[in-house]
Amino acid sequence: MTAKEMTPVVECRQLNVSFQTDAGQVTAVTGLDFTLHAGECLGVVGESGSGKSQTFLAMFGLLAANGEASGSIRYRDTELLNAPRSVLEGLRGNRLAMIFQDALSGLTPTMRVGDQMAEVLMRHQGLSRRAARSRVIEALEVVRIADPARRYAAYPFEMSGGMRQRVMIATATLCKPEVLIADEPTTALDVTVQAQVLRLLDGLKRHTGTSLVLITHDLGVVAGLCDRVLIMYGGRVVEFGPVREIFRRPAHPYTQALLRSMPSLLIDPARDLPVIPGQPPDLENLPPGCAFADRCNYAAELCRVERPELRAVNTGRNADQARACHFEPADLHAEPAGSPA
Amino acid sequence: MTALLTVEHLSVHYTLPGSGLFRRQPLTLKAVDNVSFELGAGETLGVVGETGCGKSSLGKGVLQLVRPAAGRVLWNGRDLCTLPPAELKHCRKDLQIIFQDPLSSLNPRMTIGEIVAEPLEVHYPELGRDQRDRRVSEMLERVGLRPAMRNRYPNEFSGGQCQRISIARAMIAQPKVIVCDEPVSSLDVSIQAQICNLLRDLQRDTGIALLFISHDLSIVRYMSHRVLVMYLGRTMEYGRRDGFFGSPRHPYSQALISAIPQPDPDIAASARPLVLDGELPSPLDPPSGCVFRTRCPLVVPGCITRQPVLEEAEPGHRVACHRWRETGSARSSG
Repeated sequence: MTAKEMTPVVECRQLNVSFQTDAGQVTAVTGLDFTLHAGECLGVVGESGSGKSQTFLAMFGLLAANGEASGSIRYRDTELLNAPRSVLEGLRGNRLAMIFQDALSGLTPTMRVGDQMAEVLMRHQGLSRRAARSRVIEALEVVRIADPARRYAAYPFEMSGGMRQRVMIATATLCKPEVLIADEPTTALDVTVQAQVLRLLDGLKRHTGTSLVLITHDLGVVAGLCDRVLIMYGGRVVEFGPVREIFRRPAHPYTQALLRSMPSLLIDPARDLPVIPGQPPDLENLPPGCAFADRCNYAAELCRVERPELRAVNTGRNADQARACHFEPADLHAEPAGSPA
Repeated sequence: MTALLTVEHLSVHYTLPGSGLFRRQPLTLKAVDNVSFELGAGETLGVVGETGCGKSSLGKGVLQLVRPAAGRVLWNGRDLCTLPPAELKHCRKDLQIIFQDPLSSLNPRMTIGEIVAEPLEVHYPELGRDQRDRRVSEMLERVGLRPAMRNRYPNEFSGGQCQRISIARAMIAQPKVIVCDEPVSSLDVSIQAQICNLLRDLQRDTGIALLFISHDLSIVRYMSHRVLVMYLGRTMEYGRRDGFFGSPRHPYSQALISAIPQPDPDIAASARPLVLDGELPSPLDPPSGCVFRTRCPLVVPGCITRQPVLEEAEPGHRVACHRWRETGSARSSG
């Protein structure tokens, strides 16, 4: 890692998120710890139901009405979890910003795009409508929207998906937030538009010092953009560490299997992909042991009865890497996915 | 290779009502414009392109789910486009489709046993109930579902399982060709590989031909023997998998391939993706000449006036670009 200033900006400790449903209590996140440092990009990887989105919705006070969160998420000196509305409203869209996968539902359909962007500046920075307008046009220019003065007056439905996602990014960065959470920002986009949006996020990270959290299921996106990565499964972290270490020497069977099952351009298409058998775990009925045990090639009796704790990986490379598995990394016959020939 | 299915100069048009006070003329959207390909038994042709490129319309046009405006679809020596509906129905036994959204393409009021049995009832009415039930059980087992699940309804299954049900329904009448329209796009990463491998296994066992439509080039590379790249309804490039991915000739193909995020931090760090600027033009008003010219890094004045035709760059590898001779060295393979 580069000699970055390792100041924690966001610290999450022992976060639990659960939902009361007709079918009973559903556990989305359990005992989650993570730290986001200044200026870094943290990838959060997991499949649907892994708890990756709910973690950050809890941080923003945006859980559904039947959701409940306990534990602690601090931004600098402010506790965010279950904080009063006034505290959250002062920070959201200002110091802390979030962009969502579905950019259409993130924008108000009946308001002109420029007006809803200007509202952010008028509210958080007390700018006049005129001053806000010129800042908005600048911001639209930064995200390479052609003819921004005209687009200011457009409605969301008049824009393409890629344009709307760029508007969301421009809106999120208007107040130069310290923390930007991007939840699957490119999943709904075409490949060439995804490349445009990723380039934009990369530029943001490099030039503004914003700490970025990238929530995604796409390991390719993580490899290109993130410094560290958190792998989630069944509402818990199963592995975390520097991106390079995790991709070269994944120390959890799930991470390994995930990397090997990706049909990237590096695999030999004549050979069958090794797959992860079975289904993601049932959150209403999580097993007492390791949630991945049913799908794991290595699982032993112990894995089914006792849940492995998250423990540091002794890499000898002075890297902060940890994983939750009863097996030692050396026992997992690690062969890095996609090692170049 | 002897072609099982030959598609010649296929065009699919949609007519939209004109908008505005004085524009009463209906508009014609050319979703597919003059596309040709061949599909052999046991072969997979990957059709790639971005939203609105016409790849799904191509699949529907081939199966006559929309009637093509022009061109021919040759199947067993007959042109499906001119076949009367009664005879077309007979051919449908051999030509099936799997859709992207597995849940919405299954009738929620039918059990999965009924869903999978339906093609047999339509195409093999002479089969007795016992025989039909046995075939359904075998098929469910083949796609990795327990036959005991046959009395359950689609909403009781996950997305990956629903896609297995769709595959069972498509396969049960022993078709020769399946059009797979983004069959894994809505699934989780770990489930995508399961479904891809299931389709490859079934192809190995039965020799079925697949028209595999996807926007994901990594998956297309894994699944296909040959690849067809579309942009705004037209074919940009068409060739065998290794030739295409090893040395793509069309600037659009090159941009698509270089835009795929690689799950390797070292490669990602040194990669210089060729990022296209701008947006996809409206398919109602495509650019003159080459439709890709508004986003092409190699555009020259000739591209505005002349539409490129497909030329053979190498045997079996065709490209529609005026400047394909200069693009070969633009990107080294691998």
